[in-house]
Amino acid sequence: MGTINSALSLTKGALDADQKALSVVANNVANANTTGYTEETPDWKENQPINVDGIQVGDGVTETGATSQRDRILEERLDQQQQLASASSSRLTALNSMQALFTPDSGSASSTAGDIGSDITSFFDSFSSLESDPTDNALREQVLSSASTLAGDISGTANSLNAQGAALDQDASGVVSQVNSLTGAIGQLNLEIQSISPHSDAGTLEDQRQQDLSQLSQLIGINQVTTENNGLSITTTSGQLLVSEGQNFQLTTGTVNGATDFFLGGTDITSQLRTGGGQLGGYLTARDVDIPGALGTLDQLAYGISTAVNAQNDSGTDFDGQTGTFANPLYIFNEPATVAGSATNMSVIMTDPHQIAAAGAGSGTGDNSNAVAMANLAKEPLGGPTTSFSLTQNLDSTTPVNGTTTGNVQVYDTLGKTYVATVTYTQQGANIWGYSVALPASAFASGVSTPVTGTMTFSAAGNPIQIRPTGAANPETVGTATGDVSSIPLSFAGLADGAATLNMGWNLLAANGTSIINQTVAASAQTGQSQNGFAGDQTPIDYYSNFVSTLGATVSEVQTENTAQNASVTQLQTQNNALSSVNLNDEAAAMSKLESSYQAASQVFTLLNTVMTSALNLGVETAVS
Amino acid sequence: MRPANPELKELVVEASGALARLDATRLEELALSCQALTRARSPEDAGEREHLARQAREAEADMAVFARVLEATRSNLNVMKRLRELRAGRLEYTERQARGSAEGGHGDH
Repeated sequence: MGTINSALSLTKGALDADQKALSVVANNVANANTTGYTEETPDWKENQPINVDGIQVGDGVTETGATSQRDRILEERLDQQQQLASASSSRLTALNSMQALFTPDSGSASSTAGDIGSDITSFFDSFSSLESDPTDNALREQVLSSASTLAGDISGTANSLNAQGAALDQDASGVVSQVNSLTGAIGQLNLEIQSISPHSDAGTLEDQRQQDLSQLSQLIGINQVTTENNGLSITTTSGQLLVSEGQNFQLTTGTVNGATDFFLGGTDITSQLRTGGGQLGGYLTARDVDIPGALGTLDQLAYGISTAVNAQNDSGTDFDGQTGTFANPLYIFNEPATVAGSATNMSVIMTDPHQIAAAGAGSGTGDNSNAVAMANLAKEPLGGPTTSFSLTQNLDSTTPVNGTTTGNVQVYDTLGKTYVATVTYTQQGANIWGYSVALPASAFASGVSTPVTGTMTFSAAGNPIQIRPTGAANPETVGTATGDVSSIPLSFAGLADGAATLNMGWNLLAANGTSIINQTVAASAQTGQSQNGFAGDQTPIDYYSNFVSTLGATVSEVQTENTAQNASVTQLQTQNNALSSVNLNDEAAAMSKLESSYQAASQVFTLLNTVMTSALNLGVETAVS
Repeated sequence: MRPANPELKELVVEASGALARLDATRLEELALSCQALTRARSPEDAGEREHLARQAREAEADMAVFARVLEATRSNLNVMKRLRELRAGRLEYTERQARGSAEGGHGDH
């Protein structure tokens, strides 16, 4: 029943609602400078009508709370762009450090990585100088001196790259504790939001969660999935669960092959995190892709120069009339066994300049033909034949006698030509397999392929314990003890392209002594292969120059991406601020600004493109007929 | 004599920055400058032509950045447009739903 009290109550309700609305506005103003604070607007609810003498009278409005003006889609888009920008930013920092190593420093007296290009030229030029007077000891010393400078700069650079990789490894590890702290906080906030505000915006709690999400996005790539009652699940970009409503899953680290790997629930997710974005993605890309790539290039350069120069010097006659022997080869550089590690280990082992074999084989000490050949190495393609290879293979112990399985590996000859070597294993009896390694018949001048064969005996545990090459009087023990063998020697002569005899070792054991080829009851399968040869179609200096210019192009590309991504983040922040922050601009004005900026920029781009194309064409010299 | 125009590179860098800041006014000014540039006659002097070509070559990398920022802006604009449509759709849906409920209520009487 309607009374004066009802009327007063109605008026009071309206006043209260206004007062609460004023509080919301005041709160907005008070938080104008609070990072991450989202503007709230008052929510109004019509009260139940009251009955006054049979007539329904409206009961005014009640302020039911405040709703933050946020848009999760826009915030998620902003987070995604931040992930990309953070990834390219951390990768760019690493790439810039790498590039700095290879920048020539003309003002420095000491030789550095930036001088490798001139070191290569100086080294081969020293042989050209020696050609004029092969008996001049000063010229011989100059060869060793320039060799030392080259080797020192290459190995120093490789060490610097390794140090950069170790620093990135530490940076990447440091991200984990931050990620775990944030996912823990988000899980806790999820619980609070679900408990306090399951069906409407949770105001400052949502702000806190959004801030945490924003920080998390800068660290790693994430996907966000909204769940019931305002909850949120977070996964990595490849789908591994980090937060499920109130529960969070901790990232852990472990050392794998000397580097830190990242685990979630016992699964190694390093490769997924590498491509996922965020700072961690950038660190891991630099650590696992950019630095190993640069090291691999330096390794090939060091391997190619060392093996080619050593082989050439070893084939000549030194100042004292000596030629190289198996026990005492005339090597200038430390002879690398594998491509991997060649740069780090590159050094000059020759101490006596008399050992430089300027003369050809069988020629007198005044001859310079081998010095000419060594100088000419500067003009020949850098490359290296395969000297060893490995196949990771499982041989099924239940294979019937005479049953076979195969493996294959691509190998290189001394001229850089590649072949697929096929290994055929034939079951000969309990724990005994025959092996046969063959190159294609087309590889040989004769057109006939002669495989290298023998037998392999396995222990009951499935490890190779003996090998017996065909024709050998006795089997040899496989192992790492003195007198044991760890690889099978293979030799292929008479190659059709005129390359030297291809001598390779087929590794049965890994570097740590564990067997690579095993016999088990599982199905036969080849699961891996590696070899140390590589094709060379560039001279040493061209190879190095291309590497430096490729590195420069990568830096430029990542820089471009990073600039564009940061610009995108700035734009989205502007839009988000207009929508969710305490700001006088409204959303429509922000949208209009974005649209008109895009249109004007498109016009500028088209015009600039026309101007530039025209200018470039103007600069082109055209032939006049 | 060389015209006192800004280097192309500076124009391109300025345009990228203005677009990142969503400075539409500055971009419109730049568009006018570029229009003036396109209207300028092709220089007849070989040295002047080479100078322009050099400027264009030097600006190529920055032009690539500008292109990427433009692409990112287009992408952001699309997201914002879809968001606007989404909100408009929600509003219409809410209104229809409200109308439907009200009409249903009348039918019960």
